[in-house]
Amino acid sequence: MQWGYLAVADIFEIIVAIAAGRAEGFRNRPWTGVTLASGALGTFFLSKALLTFDVGVGYAIWTSAAGAGITLLGPILFKQRLDWRKTLGVVVIVTGVVGLQLSGAA
Amino acid sequence: MSGTVRSPANPWLVLLLAGGFEVGYALSVGGSHGFTRMTWSLTAVVFFLLTLWALSVALRAIDLSVGYAVWAGIGSVGAALLGPVFFDEALGLTQALWLGVVIVGVVWLKLADQGGRPPEEEARVNEDQPG
Repeated sequence: MQWGYLAVADIFEIIVAIAAGRAEGFRNRPWTGVTLASGALGTFFLSKALLTFDVGVGYAIWTSAAGAGITLLGPILFKQRLDWRKTLGVVVIVTGVVGLQLSGAA
Repeated sequence: MSGTVRSPANPWLVLLLAGGFEVGYALSVGGSHGFTRMTWSLTAVVFFLLTLWALSVALRAIDLSVGYAVWAGIGSVGAALLGPVFFDEALGLTQALWLGVVIVGVVWLKLADQGGRPPEEEARVNEDQPG
Protein backbone atom coordinates (compact mmCIF):
# COMPACT_ATOMS: atom_id res chain seq x y z
CA MET A 1 0.00 0.00 0.00
CA GLN A 2 2.82 2.40 0.82
CA TRP A 3 4.21 1.91 -2.70
CA GLY A 4 0.75 2.66 -4.07
CA TYR A 5 0.60 5.94 -2.13
CA LEU A 6 4.08 6.86 -3.32
CA ALA A 7 3.23 6.07 -6.94
CA VAL A 8 0.03 8.15 -6.79
CA ALA A 9 1.95 11.03 -5.14
CA ASP A 10 4.48 10.84 -7.96
CA ILE A 11 1.82 10.97 -10.66
CA PHE A 12 0.30 14.06 -9.05
CA GLU A 13 3.72 15.70 -8.80
CA ILE A 14 4.27 15.16 -12.52
CA ILE A 15 0.80 16.60 -13.24
CA VAL A 16 1.66 19.62 -11.05
CA ALA A 17 4.75 20.36 -13.12
CA ILE A 18 2.96 19.95 -16.45
CA ALA A 19 -0.06 22.00 -15.31
CA ALA A 20 2.14 24.74 -13.81
CA GLY A 21 3.86 24.98 -17.17
CA ARG A 22 0.51 25.68 -18.79
CA ALA A 23 -1.06 27.87 -16.08
CA GLU A 24 0.70 30.99 -17.44
CA GLY A 25 1.33 32.53 -14.04
CA PHE A 26 -2.19 31.54 -12.88
CA ARG A 27 -3.88 33.44 -15.73
CA ASN A 28 -5.16 30.22 -17.28
CA ARG A 29 -7.85 29.23 -14.79
CA PRO A 30 -8.42 25.58 -15.73
CA TRP A 31 -4.70 24.75 -15.62
CA THR A 32 -4.31 26.79 -12.43
CA GLY A 33 -7.05 24.67 -10.90
CA VAL A 34 -5.34 21.48 -12.02
CA THR A 35 -2.02 22.74 -10.63
CA LEU A 36 -3.42 23.55 -7.19
CA ALA A 37 -5.61 20.45 -6.92
CA SER A 38 -2.77 18.13 -7.97
CA GLY A 39 -0.37 19.89 -5.61
CA ALA A 40 -2.74 19.41 -2.68
CA LEU A 41 -3.47 15.77 -3.57
CA GLY A 42 0.23 15.07 -4.17
CA THR A 43 1.13 16.45 -0.75
CA PHE A 44 -1.64 14.38 0.84
CA PHE A 45 -0.53 11.10 -0.75
CA LEU A 46 3.16 11.80 -0.12
CA SER A 47 2.43 12.41 3.56
CA LYS A 48 0.45 9.13 3.62
CA ALA A 49 3.38 7.29 2.03
CA LEU A 50 5.89 8.88 4.41
CA LEU A 51 3.95 7.54 7.40
CA THR A 52 5.27 4.09 6.56
CA PHE A 53 8.35 4.78 4.45
CA ASP A 54 11.41 6.19 6.11
CA VAL A 55 11.10 9.90 5.22
CA GLY A 56 14.53 10.13 3.57
CA VAL A 57 14.09 6.98 1.48
CA GLY A 58 10.50 7.77 0.51
CA TYR A 59 11.34 11.32 -0.48
CA ALA A 60 14.38 10.17 -2.46
CA ILE A 61 12.32 7.68 -4.49
CA TRP A 62 9.57 10.25 -4.99
CA THR A 63 11.94 12.99 -6.21
CA SER A 64 13.90 10.80 -8.57
CA ALA A 65 10.79 9.27 -10.12
CA ALA A 66 9.15 12.68 -10.60
CA GLY A 67 12.35 14.17 -12.04
CA ALA A 68 12.79 11.29 -14.48
CA GLY A 69 9.13 11.31 -15.48
CA ILE A 70 9.05 15.04 -16.16
CA THR A 71 12.35 14.98 -18.03
CA LEU A 72 11.03 12.26 -20.33
CA LEU A 73 7.55 13.77 -20.77
CA GLY A 74 8.73 17.34 -21.48
CA PRO A 75 10.04 16.59 -24.98
CA ILE A 76 7.10 14.28 -25.76
CA LEU A 77 4.32 16.68 -24.72
CA PHE A 78 5.84 20.06 -25.47
CA LYS A 79 8.42 19.38 -28.17
CA GLN A 80 11.02 20.87 -25.89
CA ARG A 81 14.50 19.96 -26.97
CA LEU A 82 16.27 17.67 -24.56
CA ASP A 83 19.98 18.04 -25.24
CA TRP A 84 22.66 16.16 -23.35
CA ARG A 85 23.67 19.19 -21.30
CA LYS A 86 20.19 19.71 -19.86
CA THR A 87 19.73 15.99 -19.26
CA LEU A 88 23.07 15.86 -17.44
CA GLY A 89 22.09 18.83 -15.26
CA VAL A 90 18.77 17.23 -14.32
CA VAL A 91 20.53 13.93 -13.52
CA VAL A 92 23.12 15.73 -11.34
CA ILE A 93 20.39 17.56 -9.36
CA VAL A 94 18.27 14.44 -8.88
CA THR A 95 21.39 12.50 -7.80
CA GLY A 96 22.23 15.24 -5.29
CA VAL A 97 18.70 15.31 -3.86
CA VAL A 98 18.58 11.51 -3.57
CA GLY A 99 22.03 11.46 -1.90
CA LEU A 100 20.94 14.23 0.44
CA GLN A 101 17.78 12.42 1.50
CA LEU A 102 19.50 9.05 1.93
CA SER A 103 22.38 10.50 3.95
CA GLY A 104 19.88 12.32 6.13
CA ALA A 105 18.13 9.03 6.81
CA ALA A 106 21.33 7.31 7.85
CA MET B 1 -0.76 44.83 -20.57
CA SER B 2 -2.96 43.84 -23.46
CA GLY B 3 -3.66 40.36 -22.18
CA THR B 4 -0.88 38.78 -24.18
CA VAL B 5 1.19 36.32 -22.24
CA ARG B 6 4.73 37.52 -21.78
CA SER B 7 7.74 35.78 -20.43
CA PRO B 8 9.02 37.29 -17.20
CA ALA B 9 11.95 39.68 -17.62
CA ASN B 10 14.20 37.36 -15.67
CA PRO B 11 12.73 33.86 -15.60
CA TRP B 12 15.69 32.44 -13.66
CA LEU B 13 15.20 34.97 -10.88
CA VAL B 14 11.52 33.98 -10.68
CA LEU B 15 12.54 30.29 -10.66
CA LEU B 16 14.95 30.89 -7.74
CA LEU B 17 12.13 32.74 -5.98
CA ALA B 18 9.84 29.74 -6.57
CA GLY B 19 12.53 27.52 -5.04
CA GLY B 20 12.66 29.83 -2.03
CA PHE B 21 8.89 29.60 -1.58
CA GLU B 22 9.19 25.81 -1.91
CA VAL B 23 11.64 25.85 1.02
CA GLY B 24 9.10 27.81 3.06
CA TYR B 25 6.44 25.27 2.06
CA ALA B 26 8.56 22.25 3.01
CA LEU B 27 9.54 23.73 6.37
CA SER B 28 6.02 24.81 7.28
CA VAL B 29 4.51 21.46 6.28
CA GLY B 30 7.10 19.84 8.54
CA GLY B 31 6.30 22.27 11.34
CA SER B 32 2.56 21.71 10.98
CA HIS B 33 2.94 18.09 12.22
CA GLY B 34 0.46 16.65 9.73
CA PHE B 35 -1.55 19.89 9.58
CA THR B 36 -2.46 19.69 13.26
CA ARG B 37 -0.95 23.08 14.12
CA MET B 38 -2.97 26.03 12.86
CA THR B 39 -0.30 28.72 12.34
CA TRP B 40 2.14 26.40 10.56
CA SER B 41 -0.68 24.96 8.45
CA LEU B 42 -1.83 28.40 7.28
CA THR B 43 1.78 29.37 6.53
CA ALA B 44 2.09 26.17 4.48
CA VAL B 45 -1.00 27.03 2.43
CA VAL B 46 0.35 30.51 1.65
CA PHE B 47 3.74 29.16 0.58
CA PHE B 48 1.98 26.42 -1.44
CA LEU B 49 0.17 29.07 -3.50
CA LEU B 50 3.26 31.27 -3.85
CA THR B 51 5.61 28.47 -4.94
CA LEU B 52 3.26 27.09 -7.61
CA TRP B 53 2.47 30.57 -8.91
CA ALA B 54 6.15 31.50 -9.23
CA LEU B 55 6.94 28.12 -10.82
CA SER B 56 4.16 28.66 -13.32
CA VAL B 57 5.52 32.12 -14.22
CA ALA B 58 9.09 30.82 -14.60
CA LEU B 59 7.99 27.88 -16.78
CA ARG B 60 6.74 30.30 -19.42
CA ALA B 61 10.34 30.84 -20.41
CA ILE B 62 12.24 27.85 -19.01
CA ASP B 63 11.97 24.24 -20.19
CA LEU B 64 9.79 22.02 -18.00
CA SER B 65 12.52 19.48 -17.14
CA VAL B 66 15.07 22.20 -16.34
CA GLY B 67 12.63 24.32 -14.35
CA TYR B 68 11.30 21.40 -12.34
CA ALA B 69 14.74 20.03 -11.45
CA VAL B 70 16.00 23.44 -10.32
CA TRP B 71 12.81 24.15 -8.36
CA ALA B 72 12.86 20.79 -6.56
CA GLY B 73 16.65 20.96 -6.08
CA ILE B 74 16.55 24.38 -4.43
CA GLY B 75 13.65 23.21 -2.28
CA SER B 76 15.69 20.26 -0.98
CA VAL B 77 18.87 22.26 -0.44
CA GLY B 78 17.06 25.07 1.34
CA ALA B 79 15.06 22.71 3.55
CA ALA B 80 18.25 20.84 4.50
CA LEU B 81 20.09 24.08 5.25
CA LEU B 82 17.27 25.77 7.16
CA GLY B 83 15.91 22.66 8.91
CA PRO B 84 18.63 22.89 11.59
CA VAL B 85 17.81 26.58 12.09
CA PHE B 86 14.09 26.07 12.83
CA PHE B 87 13.93 22.51 14.09
CA ASP B 88 16.05 20.10 16.05
CA GLU B 89 17.91 18.74 13.03
CA ALA B 90 21.59 18.44 12.21
CA LEU B 91 23.44 18.88 8.91
CA GLY B 92 26.36 16.45 8.57
CA LEU B 93 29.37 16.61 6.29
CA THR B 94 27.98 13.97 3.91
CA GLN B 95 24.78 15.95 3.48
CA ALA B 96 26.77 19.12 2.91
CA LEU B 97 28.62 17.36 0.06
CA TRP B 98 25.33 16.27 -1.54
CA LEU B 99 24.06 19.84 -1.20
CA GLY B 100 27.11 20.88 -3.20
CA VAL B 101 26.18 18.37 -5.93
CA VAL B 102 22.67 19.83 -6.23
CA ILE B 103 24.03 23.39 -6.42
CA VAL B 104 26.52 22.36 -9.12
CA GLY B 105 23.60 20.88 -11.09
CA VAL B 106 21.54 24.07 -10.72
CA VAL B 107 24.42 26.28 -11.89
CA TRP B 108 25.12 23.90 -14.76
CA LEU B 109 21.50 24.05 -15.94
CA LYS B 110 21.49 27.84 -15.71
CA LEU B 111 24.50 27.92 -18.01
CA ALA B 112 23.10 25.23 -20.33
CA ASP B 113 19.78 27.10 -20.60
CA GLN B 114 21.43 30.16 -22.11
CA GLY B 115 21.73 29.76 -25.84
CA GLY B 116 19.48 26.71 -25.72
CA ARG B 117 16.39 28.68 -26.70
CA PRO B 118 14.70 27.50 -29.90
CA PRO B 119 14.95 30.07 -32.72
CA GLU B 120 11.18 30.55 -33.06
CA GLU B 121 10.88 31.41 -29.38
CA GLU B 122 13.75 33.88 -29.71
CA ALA B 123 11.82 35.56 -32.53
CA ARG B 124 8.69 35.72 -30.40
CA VAL B 125 10.61 37.28 -27.51
CA ASN B 126 11.99 39.90 -29.88
CA GLU B 127 8.51 40.68 -31.17
CA ASP B 128 7.43 41.32 -27.58
CA GLN B 129 9.90 44.18 -27.33
CA PRO B 130 8.60 47.12 -29.38
CA GLY B 131 11.65 48.70 -31.01
